[in-house]
Amino acid sequence: MSGSAAARRAGSDPLPREVLERVRAREPEALGAFFERYVDQVFSLVYRLLGDRTLAEDVTQEVFLKVHRAAPQLDASRDPGPWLTTIATNACRDLWRSGAHRLRKKSDSLEDDSGLAERLTRQQDEPEGEAIARERERIVQQAIGELPEPLRLAVVLHDYQGLDHLEIARLTGLGHAAARKRYSRALEKLGVLLKERLR
Amino acid sequence: MSDRARDPLPPDEPLTADMERARETLRALPAAAPRAAFRSRLRQEFVTGAIESAPPPRTLSIPWYRTSMARWGATAVAAAAALVVVSVMNQAPAWKLSDVRGEGIVVVDGVPIPTQHVEELEQHLKPGVFVQVPDGVELEIASAGELAIEYTAGTEASLPQAPGRWFQRHALAEVRVGELRFTTGSAFHGARLAIETHEARVEATGTTFAVICEPTGTCVCVYEGRVRVGTRGGVGMAMVEAGRRRYLFTDGRPDENAEMRDTEHAELPRFKARMSGMMK
Repeated sequence: MSGSAAARRAGSDPLPREVLERVRAREPEALGAFFERYVDQVFSLVYRLLGDRTLAEDVTQEVFLKVHRAAPQLDASRDPGPWLTTIATNACRDLWRSGAHRLRKKSDSLEDDSGLAERLTRQQDEPEGEAIARERERIVQQAIGELPEPLRLAVVLHDYQGLDHLEIARLTGLGHAAARKRYSRALEKLGVLLKERLR
Repeated sequence: MSDRARDPLPPDEPLTADMERARETLRALPAAAPRAAFRSRLRQEFVTGAIESAPPPRTLSIPWYRTSMARWGATAVAAAAALVVVSVMNQAPAWKLSDVRGEGIVVVDGVPIPTQHVEELEQHLKPGVFVQVPDGVELEIASAGELAIEYTAGTEASLPQAPGRWFQRHALAEVRVGELRFTTGSAFHGARLAIETHEARVEATGTTFAVICEPTGTCVCVYEGRVRVGTRGGVGMAMVEAGRRRYLFTDGRPDENAEMRDTEHAELPRFKARMSGMMK
């Protein structure tokens, strides 16, 4: 594991058990700490999977609603990170399967470059290196979005979120070998897409 | 969470340069942060519990017309509409009064209707009604292309449902007294017509014949084609060929099989000829 993925996983320690116990009791202060600890992780994963900021915010809200409802059942002896990853991933998969998402996809062509103006304005104010990095990130995100949803899930969970194939297999209901194969296919496809665009 | 050292499967084939590059690019992607306003609002709702009563995100809600219930409802409505259309289209042409001879009062399901009131009489001739024809009056009723029936004077009998075009291709009439003459049309092909009297049951699949219900028994005369005739319960059904008759007695005497009656020899072909225009 390397780079940002490793940092995303190892850079923040799980909340202490006593805080999680208070989360179970829905104490506001503990809920606040829980939120601060995990909101970026959840949003970041969801954003990479969906490639749309508004959708990612809505799904993040959905995830935290589920967490709030299920708080009394939280296992305080374990890091809730994997649990949240599962909830977030399933919320994205539910969205992909939903009529609302299919409708949105149909109308996406009209809104595809809605962030262009914002990007251009921002690029005028930032140093060239940052602008290039931001543009590169946009291209990569677009390529991820062009992968079929199961392949997108495989590659984002493994290389961005830092899960191993066994964890992904459990999360997606696939066999271990199938999860690895899917990841391999996803990486191959992404490699082709990025080769064309990141010359 | 675990690291890749836990992966029990052997490593896959070496990654290509493109795959390696894609992987490193992906791993180097920065964390995406939510907008500050969203973050702040969501935190407030999560901490206070207001998130439980917050309206569901608009992008995640499915318009009512895309919900599974609406889809099932639409499917059910479409299926019901299709069923109605098919049922309507399946119906044979309505009964028409093609001729009325003589004057008198016809009683249809207890409603007395003078024979001069042809339109009113025709309006009452619905499938299943019971028709009482007085002495001196004869009616000819037809469902175009399917079936024509002649009610002779003094007949009391029900009007059957004309067989459907594709399904429900069977019809049943009951004769209490008197004589009915039948002739079938091209659209009747494959359908089945049954006529019941006190003592007999007649089954036809397309032909010209007469059923005469008298105090002594029931006589079935076949001019064209073949019909099956037996007792009312459908026992002892036997085929009666063209030009023949079968008589079932009310007093239990053995059935009589003989040539068809002279009267029917004359009347059935005339009836068929009169109706031929409507039975094509």
